[in-house]
Amino acid sequence: MIRSSSSLPPAEANLSPLEGNEVISAAPLDIVELLRRGHHPAAGAVVLFSGEVRDHNKGRAVAYLEYEAYHPLAVKMIHAILAEARAKWSLQLAIAQHRVGRLAIGESAVVVITASPHRREAFEANRHIIDRIKHEVPIWKCEYFTDGAHQWGNNCNCHATTGDAAKHIYE
Amino acid sequence: MKIHVYATLKDYFSSEFELETIAHNTDALKRDLVQLNDQAEQLLNSCRFAVEEGFIDNDYKLKENDTVIIIPPASGG
Repeated sequence: MIRSSSSLPPAEANLSPLEGNEVISAAPLDIVELLRRGHHPAAGAVVLFSGEVRDHNKGRAVAYLEYEAYHPLAVKMIHAILAEARAKWSLQLAIAQHRVGRLAIGESAVVVITASPHRREAFEANRHIIDRIKHEVPIWKCEYFTDGAHQWGNNCNCHATTGDAAKHIYE
Repeated sequence: MKIHVYATLKDYFSSEFELETIAHNTDALKRDLVQLNDQAEQLLNSCRFAVEEGFIDNDYKLKENDTVIIIPPASGG
């Protein structure tokens, strides 16, 4: 392999996308390796989103997070969301990986990569994929605050408006 | 019936437990769970239910030996 002197990974097309359970990882997400898989000769636009652990939420100082997943469904749903987005925006590639376990401040909790001939589709699809993962996929965050308290996340509150836990509202 | 709960539901129930119930749909099961812990009522109304094969709704006929997974609103990302 040719080593680039730049910090960016070199373009290497046709590496296999994440398969099966690989879309959920107990190990730290390797953003550079994921981006390496995100290139495609027909794609002039590659968008990478990384959702990262911040040190505060609603005015409280966060020490670390823990993520839990119901793996059988979460894995199936991530693959289905990616397949739908690939078809809808005619993407060359759509990759997502979500972390579980204990995460420190600044670590990546989720990565979504989309690649398409032009940037518009890659941006739109990326936004769509991360929104759906956050609303629909059975993965949960628990925030541990510096004062010792903890609280399970309640990101998706759509059911309060739709009256149906299976119906979500997207912008 | 075997019940598995996740995330914030673990503040109200054991993560896995056996429930003596004749509930044959998710609405009836929800009522049984509220009997166990009435603090969980509002939360249970925002949850989805699943069996091994995937999500179920109230039309799904629950069987005594089913394992039911109760899924609170997602908070990943």
